[in-house]
Amino acid sequence: MRGIPTVLITVSPEVSAQMRPPRAIYPNGFKIGNSLGKPGARELQKQILQDALTLFTENTRPGEFVTKEYAEYGEYHEPPRVKTKV
Amino acid sequence: MTISRKCVPFTPFEGELAKSTVAIVSAAGVHLREQEPFNISDELGDLGYRVIPEDVESSQLMVTHHHYDHRDADKDINVVFPIDALRELAEEGFIRGIAKKHVGYMGYTMQLKAMYEGTAREIANEIDKGSRADLVVLTGG
Repeated sequence: MRGIPTVLITVSPEVSAQMRPPRAIYPNGFKIGNSLGKPGARELQKQILQDALTLFTENTRPGEFVTKEYAEYGEYHEPPRVKTKV
Repeated sequence: MTISRKCVPFTPFEGELAKSTVAIVSAAGVHLREQEPFNISDELGDLGYRVIPEDVESSQLMVTHHHYDHRDADKDINVVFPIDALRELAEEGFIRGIAKKHVGYMGYTMQLKAMYEGTAREIANEIDKGSRADLVVLTGG
């Protein structure tokens, strides 16, 4: 059994790390349910997919998570507001 | 073959993307509208999986999963199951093509051993035997 090379696109790297994926990409700050970004944003989706696929040809360390920034995702997901004392 | 649960099961890739066929395996609860939905009423989770064919239209796909907000996937399945995006990369020559089979399952379970030793192996066999995939992209919710 040789196996088939895999790459994981994850928005929950801490959770995914428990399963020790051989290659993984984390689009930084993306919310759960948005692994490839926003609905209808095909170019962004393709970019993330291309970046994930490119890990196959790079000399990544087994088990490494590669964090990528995608400015286009921008303010789509507003992080929860933290109440601050006035 | 038993793999140590501490090792990283890394399969090297020595080919070229432009000559490779790619399958999607997603834990985001994706399935065809005509397929039986995942059983979200079972608190232990659904250990099944659904095979999604190569020629699927993204409008034929839907999500049954109650452990993440899939409203965006309901609008555009590509945010968790990038089938159209993958197809466009094939048309552009970035990859050779998309695999004959893709797989959706519900990535929530309280039956981890059964998922790890049963479902995961069945999915791997499904991809290995019938999809002609050289590479697999894994996605979650």
